[in-house]
Amino acid sequence: MNTSDASLPGQMRIATTTKTILREAGIGIALLVLILVFSTTTQHFLTASNVTNILTQVTINLILSIGMTFVILIGGIDLSVGSVLAFCAVVAGTVMTLPGLDPSTAVILATLSAVAGGIAFGLLNGFISAYWVIPSFIVTLGTLNIARGAALQVTNASTIYSFPPAFNAFGSQTLYGIPLLFLIALVLVAIGWFVLTKTVFGRVLYGIGNNEEAVRLAGHNVFIYKIAAFTICGGAVGIGAIIYMARLNIASPIIGIGFELNAIAAVIIGGTSLSGGRGSIVGTLLGACIIGVLANGLVLLGLSDFMRQMITGFVIIIAVILDKYRERLTKA
Amino acid sequence: MIENSSSPIKSVEPLLQLSGVAKRFGGVVALNGVSFDLRPGEVHALVGENGAGKSTLIKILCGILQRDAGTIMLGGVPYDPHTPGDAKLAGIQVVHQEFNLLPYLSVAENICFEDLPRNRFGIVDRRILHERARKALDSIGLADVDVRRPVASLGVAHRQLVEIARALMGESRILVLDEPTATLTARETKRLFAIIAALKAKGVAIAFVSHHLNEVFEICERVTVLRNGQSVMTCDISQTTPDQLVSNMVGRQLAAAMAATREVDKSGRTALSLHQLRHPASPNESGVSFDLHYGEMLGIAGLVGSGRTELLRSIFAADIPQSGSLDRDGKKVSYRNPKDAIADGIGFVTEDRKEEGLILDMPIAANVTLANLKAVSRYGLLNKRDEIKLTRELGADIKLKYGRPQDNASTLSGGNQQKVVLAKWLANNPRILLLDEPTRGVDVGAKAEIYALLRALADKGLALLVVSSELPELITLCDRILVMSNHRIAGELERQDFSEERILNFAYKDERSHEYQ
Amino acid sequence: MKFARFIAAGILAGTMLMPAAGYAADKPVVGLVMKSLANEFFKNMLEGAKADEAKRGDYTLKAVGMQSETDVETQINAIESFITEKVDAIVVAPSDSRALVPPIKRAMEAGITVVNFDVALDEKAKEEAGVKLAFVGPDNRGGAKLAGDALAKKLGEGAKVVIIEGNPGADNAAQRKLGFMDSVEAGKLDLLDSRTAHWETEEANTLFSNMLTAHPDIQGVMAANDSMALGVVKAIDAAGKTGKIQVVGFDNIPAVQPLLKEKKLLATVDQFGQQMAADAIDKALKVVKGGAPLEGWVKTDIKLIMSEDVK
Repeated sequence: MNTSDASLPGQMRIATTTKTILREAGIGIALLVLILVFSTTTQHFLTASNVTNILTQVTINLILSIGMTFVILIGGIDLSVGSVLAFCAVVAGTVMTLPGLDPSTAVILATLSAVAGGIAFGLLNGFISAYWVIPSFIVTLGTLNIARGAALQVTNASTIYSFPPAFNAFGSQTLYGIPLLFLIALVLVAIGWFVLTKTVFGRVLYGIGNNEEAVRLAGHNVFIYKIAAFTICGGAVGIGAIIYMARLNIASPIIGIGFELNAIAAVIIGGTSLSGGRGSIVGTLLGACIIGVLANGLVLLGLSDFMRQMITGFVIIIAVILDKYRERLTKA
Repeated sequence: MIENSSSPIKSVEPLLQLSGVAKRFGGVVALNGVSFDLRPGEVHALVGENGAGKSTLIKILCGILQRDAGTIMLGGVPYDPHTPGDAKLAGIQVVHQEFNLLPYLSVAENICFEDLPRNRFGIVDRRILHERARKALDSIGLADVDVRRPVASLGVAHRQLVEIARALMGESRILVLDEPTATLTARETKRLFAIIAALKAKGVAIAFVSHHLNEVFEICERVTVLRNGQSVMTCDISQTTPDQLVSNMVGRQLAAAMAATREVDKSGRTALSLHQLRHPASPNESGVSFDLHYGEMLGIAGLVGSGRTELLRSIFAADIPQSGSLDRDGKKVSYRNPKDAIADGIGFVTEDRKEEGLILDMPIAANVTLANLKAVSRYGLLNKRDEIKLTRELGADIKLKYGRPQDNASTLSGGNQQKVVLAKWLANNPRILLLDEPTRGVDVGAKAEIYALLRALADKGLALLVVSSELPELITLCDRILVMSNHRIAGELERQDFSEERILNFAYKDERSHEYQ
Repeated sequence: MKFARFIAAGILAGTMLMPAAGYAADKPVVGLVMKSLANEFFKNMLEGAKADEAKRGDYTLKAVGMQSETDVETQINAIESFITEKVDAIVVAPSDSRALVPPIKRAMEAGITVVNFDVALDEKAKEEAGVKLAFVGPDNRGGAKLAGDALAKKLGEGAKVVIIEGNPGADNAAQRKLGFMDSVEAGKLDLLDSRTAHWETEEANTLFSNMLTAHPDIQGVMAANDSMALGVVKAIDAAGKTGKIQVVGFDNIPAVQPLLKEKKLLATVDQFGQQMAADAIDKALKVVKGGAPLEGWVKTDIKLIMSEDVK
């Protein structure tokens, strides 16, 4: 047994890698099929400018989904991301439009305050659900309202606009057709992937999602890890808020309604288990892309608004069913 | 090797007949030609190491899995269940090793779940429901359980009996019992055997899966031994011996290893002293006090619910003790959580592998390093090469049988899963190991290996505290045994005084005084 | 037991508080039922009404808002509690043009003067319920046509345009779309597509980017509100077509003022939302004080704001 083991490491590594690739490939294939369908049925789908559009449109959901992946991996859920995004945006918007700040200072301070706002809500979500052992579904349902109310209170329900022109221009800049905003999201994907697969922290998060008690009895402070997962999610929301402002040049307390559902959908389509412990950031990236491609392609196809909504719903369900089959396939 | 010796009930046609049944999972052969038959009114034991194919065979019988080859005849006609429902319709009832109860429903609802009595408005008729459940429980002698209680509030032994009562609700021709006594105390086991005898008299054929050969010899007519997915032996119980069964099961003689005794060095320093340590759920205000020495294997015996697991949990700070104190190497310590206990050189092999010990859906390597991630990481970054190396080393030390370190722990047999739990703590180089039922659901071969391993650890100077419901296990392994009853130490036995009767006497002491009250 | 006592205590406290709510003064009490106060438009409208109350000082205002645009139940509950409190007049901006007819009918039967503003109740529903009620509000269709006509005039016949609609099912969204369609017909425009972005900036941005891909030759956009126009203008900027595509909006919110100045938004429509509730209250009070009942559709002011008017 040992001798055969020792002689096989290279081959074995290949086998595991293939298995991992196979897992992701299922979602990747689904994405490719969608792209294939839309590029044959519509005229403009595969044009450079449309690809730029799709990437822009995917960005915010992708960033929220990265954070959501951390929370769902530990078996939690964060329903507050849309509201917290609005809160972070109006805080950042207020800071950015403070009189007497030079544009670059204003942007930096605004970014910091957005991320700080997100982290604060993440800490709150994590602390309450971990300390009092309350399902995060309920806790974040509460903070969903708190953040939305706070955003309305801060702005007195008004929209903030007129950000520095350079910030505004940054939002629509591209590099070889790739929006800068999307590149930021990709960097976050890389960081998320690294943290989840290469660090002790990531390992323990997966462990908590699978068997919290075993992880606790193995001497890990589950409490801190849970708070950390929600805090990361909050931080991601803060970044998402700044990206939103750069893209649309406004910050309003009523933005982000329903964003949490899109983020959850991207994570689940990406193969992360809603009960925790299984999933990946790469899957989430593909899941967000599927949602973005679908939204874009269906408009190009000229389908009615209501048909679009129905088809999006079907695709979410089909993706999750396919994931079940893929799971069986890779297990056998 | 297959002996179809003449049977005392030879004229009886087999009710169920399997021949050449095979099943593979991907590249793994689980069953490779199993032949086996069941006659009406007999109790037929199925024995074999974990991983020998018993669970797969049962799953095929009850329609959870489909066979790849072979034939199954039930009452003379081909039997090919595709769902558990098919099996139930055909009159085959299975009591699984893992509980299939709904914890927050009442005992009555669980027992009658498959056929809830309804009144004419389609609403569950509670009166009939409770009557039926009462009857079912009474028939297996569980008169002391209120059928309205939620299952979650029952102890593990009672849950097992409720599970059996539920299986008996259906009209069954064949009853398969998978390790029914694993969680039962001696008294409850007796009760179960009486039920089995009654069913036998009614002509029900019973397949009885057990690791306890004494039980097999007590109640079974015939026995079939499985090894590596094959049936290697079938014969009348009267024509075989436990030694013969064991050697057929493992294919090698283990008796020596099982029976070996150990020279004990009693001069070892005290590793741990408990002073009136009291678990929050313990009714005993004066708690538990004793010393544990390095190099010592100290056993904890007692009935289910006597506070054994709670004792270990309060030492490990899995539950914070309500009162009392703990000295470690003579110094007073107070752990706030398992992390503190682990840092102080303590490991805890929990009773329930699936709930508390293992992360089944994560790789073996990840399980092995879970309690000591520092050893395989730097600056918080995992070194997967080190992790795999450590897993291979420890795996070799404890004779772990596995595919690759990257495989999920769920791919292992019960015995090997338990070894992974042990490896997790050994990776941490502990000085004290707390073990709760270290061989629960583990086959004979792995059991012997685990015994040898624990002995080697004690010889290396570790202090071991072993909780077990299997008295022979404690008697074989330990240097000293404490008997718990109602959350207090009811008695202490030195090696020369070990006997099952003495242990049971202490264990039932409180119990009896309760009954008289 | 405990629960029953709790309820009893609640009822007792409620009855004791009633007089304390203080309608003792002879001032008439007006119950104002608003839509979502998270929406800037309604928020401003409420502030306008409060300012009016403070300025006039001859009536007491009780205002209720909703959690979200579609929270019909809160409005129904508000009307019912106003009936219980026996207010003198109820001024309501219905979130649903049908669901609110029955409670409004009950209010009228209780002798309360009811004024319907902002969104008209459904004619058929009113007829079926036997309710006769005037509507005080802007002509959304007419307003949209003003904006649409401005666009048609700028682009000329045959210009290719798209419509970005509001929430499907919302009455003002439907009216504005009809108004835009009127302009399309009158100006002989070529309507390429018409879709909803649910009043939202981000969704409008995404939607219009995609429309632009499907129809790269779009020349003009009619957005059913300014929030969506904001998203459309951003999409045009991102596509590098600034100045090549004309946009009109609706509502004249503060956030579009810079766009009007920069000529990125051709026109929008001001329906003087801030005054609307105050106007409706004023009309209700006149009836309460014995004036003639309102009839039909009392149109409130609307005004087209062109980019060249904004300095």
